[in-house]
Amino acid sequence: METSKDLPKFAVLQLSGCSGCEVSLLNSDEWISNFQLVYMPLVVTSNKIPDDVEVLLVTGGVRTDEDIHNLRKGRSRTKKLIAVGTCALSGGVAQFKGNHIARESFLKASHRLRMPDMLPNAYPIDRFVDVDLYLPGCPPTPQLFMTALKDPENAKIAAIVCQECGRQKLNDMRPTSITGPRSGVVLPDICLVNQGYICVGTSTRGGCGALCTRPGHACVGCRGPANPYLNKEPKFVLDNLRRVFARMTDIPAEEIDAVLESPWLSLFLGQFTDYTQEADLPLRTKEKML
Amino acid sequence: MTTITYPLSRIEGHARVVIDVYDNEVFRADFQAMEMRGFSHYVRGVPAEQITVIVPRICGVCSTAHQVASVKALEDVFDITPPPLANDIREVLLLGQLIQNQATSLFIFTMPDRTNASSLFELSQSEAGKAREFSLAQMALKIRKIGTDLISLAGGQFIHPIKTVIGGVSSGIKREKADQMILTIQELLPVATELVDIYWEMSMEMGDRIGSWGDDEPTHYLASTEANNYRLNSQRLRVMQPDGTEAPSFDPHDFEAYLQIAESEYSYAGVSSYMGQILRANSLARINLTESLGTPRADAYLRRFVQTFGKPAHAIMFFDLCRGIELVYALEKAQQMLECDLEHGETEVGYAPKDGTGFGLVEAPRGPLIHRYEVENGLIKTADFVIPTVHNMLAIRRALMVAAKRYVGPEGINAELERAVGRVVRAFDPCIACATK
Repeated sequence: METSKDLPKFAVLQLSGCSGCEVSLLNSDEWISNFQLVYMPLVVTSNKIPDDVEVLLVTGGVRTDEDIHNLRKGRSRTKKLIAVGTCALSGGVAQFKGNHIARESFLKASHRLRMPDMLPNAYPIDRFVDVDLYLPGCPPTPQLFMTALKDPENAKIAAIVCQECGRQKLNDMRPTSITGPRSGVVLPDICLVNQGYICVGTSTRGGCGALCTRPGHACVGCRGPANPYLNKEPKFVLDNLRRVFARMTDIPAEEIDAVLESPWLSLFLGQFTDYTQEADLPLRTKEKML
Repeated sequence: MTTITYPLSRIEGHARVVIDVYDNEVFRADFQAMEMRGFSHYVRGVPAEQITVIVPRICGVCSTAHQVASVKALEDVFDITPPPLANDIREVLLLGQLIQNQATSLFIFTMPDRTNASSLFELSQSEAGKAREFSLAQMALKIRKIGTDLISLAGGQFIHPIKTVIGGVSSGIKREKADQMILTIQELLPVATELVDIYWEMSMEMGDRIGSWGDDEPTHYLASTEANNYRLNSQRLRVMQPDGTEAPSFDPHDFEAYLQIAESEYSYAGVSSYMGQILRANSLARINLTESLGTPRADAYLRRFVQTFGKPAHAIMFFDLCRGIELVYALEKAQQMLECDLEHGETEVGYAPKDGTGFGLVEAPRGPLIHRYEVENGLIKTADFVIPTVHNMLAIRRALMVAAKRYVGPEGINAELERAVGRVVRAFDPCIACATK
C-alpha cells in the first residue's frame, strides 16, 4: 500500500450523526490508494483540518452551535465540500418537523453545563455553507462513496430504485389491502407494490443497487426523491406515490395516505423537499446530486 | 486550578476528557459526551411496528444490535416466539457485528496506540509496519470486512440491517452463499490469529514500556452471555462481583431493580451503577464470566489469557486483549453455524399487534443492550434504551482518575497523560451516539 504524500488531501468532518456514513466509507478501502486521509477523528488522531484539503466530506446534521463552528471552519479549508448522507442533507432522523411534543421533550432534557448548546432542530448543512456535491443515502453505499470521490461528473446514476430492482411489475396482480410494514411472505421476482407493500422505490433516486428491494424489503426512500421532485414541496413526491398505488393496486386511497404520512417514511421522503420550504436557501440542482 | 481538556479521536462520536489539577494534585477526571442523539424523544408517538426501521439509526456502528433488540422488544409486547432457525440467523448477524466491531476497535482504534502512531495507516507506513510481510492496514480491513459481509448475508444490509423482522427473519441463508462465506473465513482465519498475535505482542511491549496495564480496583462485571454458551442473542443478565463470585442473574424485565441509571450534569450521556456500585461491561466482563467459548482456537487464547493474567482479571488494557479472543471466537463460531442448514425451515411466525410493555435484550459488542417499549393504541408511548457504554461510565471516570494521578505529580503534568487518557477511554470502546440515545 502506497500512501504517498503527493496524493490529494482528503478529510471527513462528522457533525451530529451516527457514524454509519464513516463505517460505510471504511467498507471500501479503495480510497487508500487514491487519497491521503488527513483528518477523520473516527480513525485518525489529528486535532484540526489542515488548510489545503482537496475534498472534505461532511456527515451528520447541524445539531449544536459547535457543529456550525466546525462546519464553517471546514468549508474555509477545502476546495470541494461534499454533503454525505441523509443527516447532512436534511438533518436526518433528528429533525423534528411538526413533532412539537418530541421537540419540547428533547430540548427540556438537553440542558447541560459547559457543553455545546443544542439548537432547536437538526439542520441540513447547506443552510450554513455552500455545498459542491450532495451524496444522499442512509448510508450511501461504498460504491457511491468511490464515485463521489473519483469521478462524480461522469457518474451514471439510476433515475429511480425500480431500474436497479429487477422485480417485475404485473398488470393483473392488484392487492386490495396493505400487506403490512414488513410482514408477510414475499414472492420472489414480483414488484413489491403488486404484493401490497408500501415500497417507495418508484419515486426514490437509484444508485443504491436496490439493496433493500431485491431481497424483498420495501424501499423507505433513504436516497431521497428522484430528480423530478428535487426542490419541490413534499406534496409532489407524495402525489406521485399516490398515483403509483392507484395505478397498480386497489388499496383504498385513505389507507395509502395514512401510511405515506407515517414517521418511518417521512424520515426520508421529505429529506430534500421539506428543506425548500425555507425561502432563501440555494436550490439543489440535479447536477449537484449524486 | 488548571483544567486540561483532551478532545478524543478513534472512538465512536464526540467526547472529551476533562481533568482538573490544583497544586499538582488531581481533583477530577471526567469523560463527557458532547452530543445528544435523543431517540427516546423522537420515537414518541411513532407506530410501534415502524420503530425497528428507525432505531438502528441511533448508531451506524451498533445498528445491528439495536435492530435485533428492537425486534425482540416488540416480540415481547406481542407475545410471540420466533422459530429456532430465525434465532440462529440472528446469531450469525450478531457474530458479524462482533467481528466488525472488535476488528475496528483492535486495529483501527487501539493498535496505533501500541506504537504511538496517529492511525493504522501511519502505523503501516512505519518501519515496524513495513517489516511485516503484508500491510497491517490491508489485512486488518480484510478481517473487518468479513464482519461486514456476514451482516449483509444475515441482515440484508451492512448498516441498518433489515432482515430481522417481528416474528423471525425474512429469509434463510442460501447454501451457496454460506459456502462462499465459509471459504473466506477459512482463508482469513490464520490472518486474523496472526494479527491478534501481533496485537498481543505489541500490547505486552507497551505494558513493559509504560510499566502498567492500566491497573485499577476490581469492579462488578455485567454480561448476558452464558458461562459455557457465548450466545449474543441472549436471555438473561449475569453479574460477577469484585471477588470473582457470581451474583444472581436477572431477566431484562427486572433490570431496574439491579441497574440504576442517572443523568450527568456535565455530559449528555448518563451513568449507571449496579446496586449503587461501579460496574463494567464489554469484552473483559464477558471473558471474566466465561468458562469456555466452545471453539478450539478461541479457547486456546482464553486459556492463555487466564493463565497469564488470572481470573477475574481487572486491568484496563485487558479489555483490548479480550477483544482479540472474541474476534477469533466469532470467526470460528460463524463458520460453525454456516456449516449447518440455515436455508430450509420456518424462518418467521405471524403475529397480531397488541398493546403492552416489552423488553428486548442482546449482547452487543459493548455489553448487554436492552430496549424497553411501552405501546399504547399501537403507538410508542415511551421508549428506553439501556446502553452498555452508560454502564461503563463510572468505571471510565475512575480509570481516568487513576491514570491522571499516575502522570500528575510534584514535577507537574507528564506529557504521557494525553496518551494514557486515549488508551484508557479506547479500552472501554465507548459509543457516544448510543450513550446519548
